[in-house]
Amino acid sequence: MSVEASAPQKRNRSLNSDDVRRIGTAIAGGLVLAIMTGPDGAISDPTYGVKASLLSGHVVGYLIFGVIIGCLLTYRAKVKDGTWGGDRTTPRRTLMERAMSLSPVSRYASLTVTAFAVAIITLIFADFSGPVLRNKMSMHAIAHQFLYTRTYGYLILAFALWFIVVNQAMRLTTFRLRSIPRPLFVLGAIITILLFSLTSDPFLPARFSWRALNPGVANSLFHHWTTYLWLSFGLAVSLSWMFKRDSARGTRPLRRSHALVVTPSMRFLTYVAAGFVVFEAPKFMSTYWQISLFQQIGVFCLLAIGLNIVVGFAGLLDLGYVAFYALGAYVTAYFSGALPIHPPFHLNPFLIIPFAIIIAMLSGVLLGLPTLRLRGDYLAIVTLGFGEIVYVLANDWTQATAGSAGTGSITNFSIHFLGINYAWNPVNYLSYYYLLLGILIPAIFLFDFLNHSKVGRTWAAIREDEVAAQSLGINALKYKVMAFAMGASTAGVAGVFTAVKVGVLFPNTFVLQLSISILVLVIFGGMGSIVGVLFGAIVLQWLPSYLNFHSYLGFEETNLYLYIGALLIVMMIFRPQGLVPSRRRRREILDSQEGLGSADALSAITYEQPS
Amino acid sequence: MTSNDPIFEVKDVTLRFGGVTSLNNVSIQHERGEILSVIGPNGAGKTSLFNCLTGVYVPQEGSITFHPSATKAINIVGRPPHRVAHAGVARTFQTSRMFNALTTFENVKIGVEARQKTGPIGAMLKLPRTRHEEKYSDQRSHELLEFVNLTHRTNTLADSLPYGDRRRLEIARALGTDPKVLLLDEPAAGTNPSEKLALAELINRINTELSISILLIEHDMKLVMSLAERIIVLNFGGVIAEGTPQQIQNNPLVIEAYLGASDEAKQ
Repeated sequence: MSVEASAPQKRNRSLNSDDVRRIGTAIAGGLVLAIMTGPDGAISDPTYGVKASLLSGHVVGYLIFGVIIGCLLTYRAKVKDGTWGGDRTTPRRTLMERAMSLSPVSRYASLTVTAFAVAIITLIFADFSGPVLRNKMSMHAIAHQFLYTRTYGYLILAFALWFIVVNQAMRLTTFRLRSIPRPLFVLGAIITILLFSLTSDPFLPARFSWRALNPGVANSLFHHWTTYLWLSFGLAVSLSWMFKRDSARGTRPLRRSHALVVTPSMRFLTYVAAGFVVFEAPKFMSTYWQISLFQQIGVFCLLAIGLNIVVGFAGLLDLGYVAFYALGAYVTAYFSGALPIHPPFHLNPFLIIPFAIIIAMLSGVLLGLPTLRLRGDYLAIVTLGFGEIVYVLANDWTQATAGSAGTGSITNFSIHFLGINYAWNPVNYLSYYYLLLGILIPAIFLFDFLNHSKVGRTWAAIREDEVAAQSLGINALKYKVMAFAMGASTAGVAGVFTAVKVGVLFPNTFVLQLSISILVLVIFGGMGSIVGVLFGAIVLQWLPSYLNFHSYLGFEETNLYLYIGALLIVMMIFRPQGLVPSRRRRREILDSQEGLGSADALSAITYEQPS
Repeated sequence: MTSNDPIFEVKDVTLRFGGVTSLNNVSIQHERGEILSVIGPNGAGKTSLFNCLTGVYVPQEGSITFHPSATKAINIVGRPPHRVAHAGVARTFQTSRMFNALTTFENVKIGVEARQKTGPIGAMLKLPRTRHEEKYSDQRSHELLEFVNLTHRTNTLADSLPYGDRRRLEIARALGTDPKVLLLDEPAAGTNPSEKLALAELINRINTELSISILLIEHDMKLVMSLAERIIVLNFGGVIAEGTPQQIQNNPLVIEAYLGASDEAKQ
């Protein structure tokens, strides 16, 4: 910092006033945080207030936090100005560098060790600063902490600490923080700030548990203005960052280094966090949201990742996707004996799933073989027609489908196997949700493997330049039909779930609008990216449920398409690649905007004119 | 040109687009292991010939036979392009057709993988064969990039490559399909002199080291004369001359096609 300190011969190893100031500030910051997030109780409660806060155990936790931060800052400054860390001629080693050199096996190993150390410190924090409990340090008490949202707030604080450590580590490896893809960063910012808003609000009358996240409960977060304040703050930060990056896009070369280098520990943390949310959070939701989670969000996630194979991976526009969904549903009704025509044998819905997959797949192949020779708009129109044919058949062929009167009741899921007897209870919505997860999660991984395999690359090649792909010996028709069949079979499975849960089928469930809606989920989320379309499905399917739930918002179901249309227009102007696009797709769309390539296999192929 | 081991036999091929005759009674014999060059003024039908040889166009008359080995004969006419490629015919394009949003490495890998058998089930479940093939295609792609001297561009996006590198990438991608014959459509178009030299060397190496026969369309006469063992000249859809570079350089018909007839010739 000072001029003297930078001179190599004057190596001053003691602390100077700057360092004292730095450490002091950090500790004071810790104390302020401690007071701000004080112990439980209403404002009127005598235990609330500066004095009570300072006397409670969590202050110790914050002191530790402050000291660590202060020491880190000091150490960094010292190393930077050359006071510590050896001669100026040799490269200076940071704390992290020293830690890393300890592990001869791998740098990442020491990173992981550090992450675990931080996690343990976090637990101590969480314990010290959690709600006032008598048995602070017992294991039971520590486990209990996780029932309170604020614990997760501290987890974030600790994660920030870890982030600093990672950043240090990144200096030593080839990648930089910059290399984290923008959408991931934006998502991270939104989630972080959302979680902060949930955990650090001092204005709420009392500390709340996860139950307060339930919008149905009075005084929940969603009724409180501070939540929205935090949210808009998060959005502002994210947006400003986005636009900053956008303005630089013209000059920024697209480099491989923009890929996030995911370390095993990061991957592990992400999976644990996502698994926690997916498996645990629904248990605390009200019935309304549990129903919505299965019927509105879960099933549509499955449909969206299926359509993503057709539209996102293979680049084919399918406007009749709902036909395969309907096929799956009506196959279920058929084998349940719920249709006027009776099956040769009745089946449990679990055994219907393979039938639905095969029938939907076959119809996909049958439709695909003649039509996939068509290009672009023609294909869209043919698939549109197919969707309408299936709808009209379901509606008018009353001898077979019972038409608009609706089918009979469809058999419920049940297991009678090896002495296990379990029947799904129609009122227990979560049991269906978990069953759907059993299909959805493997499907996500399998489709991801597929996208990163030979098949996925071949689809990319066909999308970009079909003529060149064929010149390499790729049978484009075969791969397109393959994509069609896989998308169709996914929709078939979704059809089985819907049929069983709803119990009775009506043809007007399977209208063209639904096909369009599913397509919108894919486009909104980001074609070709599984994370993207899941995100799109969750957001766009959650929104109408939310608007319906709060009747004071004056939402009318019929207006939904108005809003979605407006949203799509805005998206197409500002972010045509979708919210969380795949890297390949984003580059293709950028290329096509600059007149390079066609972005998908839809547009007519220009054969070389004879010279 | 008598030989009993041709790789391509083109006999009396006629290709018409409506009333326009693009190729008129063209007969060509391409010997195994030979660098054969097709030249001719613009619009002579060179690229049409390529498109017929690769199955993109189906000529109305004539036959095209491809011999992957001395004993095998495959009829090209009416075969879809991907099956022609599968039989061992690889090509590059006049205007380079890369998979722009993919990296150099991925471009080559797609070429290598086009011959592999992994299906969607194997790819989803990462079955042993898939892993084995993946390992092979990675290794082969690296080899090919090294062969064409693009190792330093492995992770560059195809659309940000300079022109000369793009040409070489296209060649590497075509080589990935393990061809018997390589059809190069104006590989030197738009490259600078030093890139041309490197390209000529590369084409020679493909011919000698990998023993792949080469059919070359090129406008750059210096390149053609230095590379080709035999030259065929097309004009207005027909073959007007055939011979060694020396013979072609002195052929009055060729000079006329390129420069117009001299007064003496007209009389």
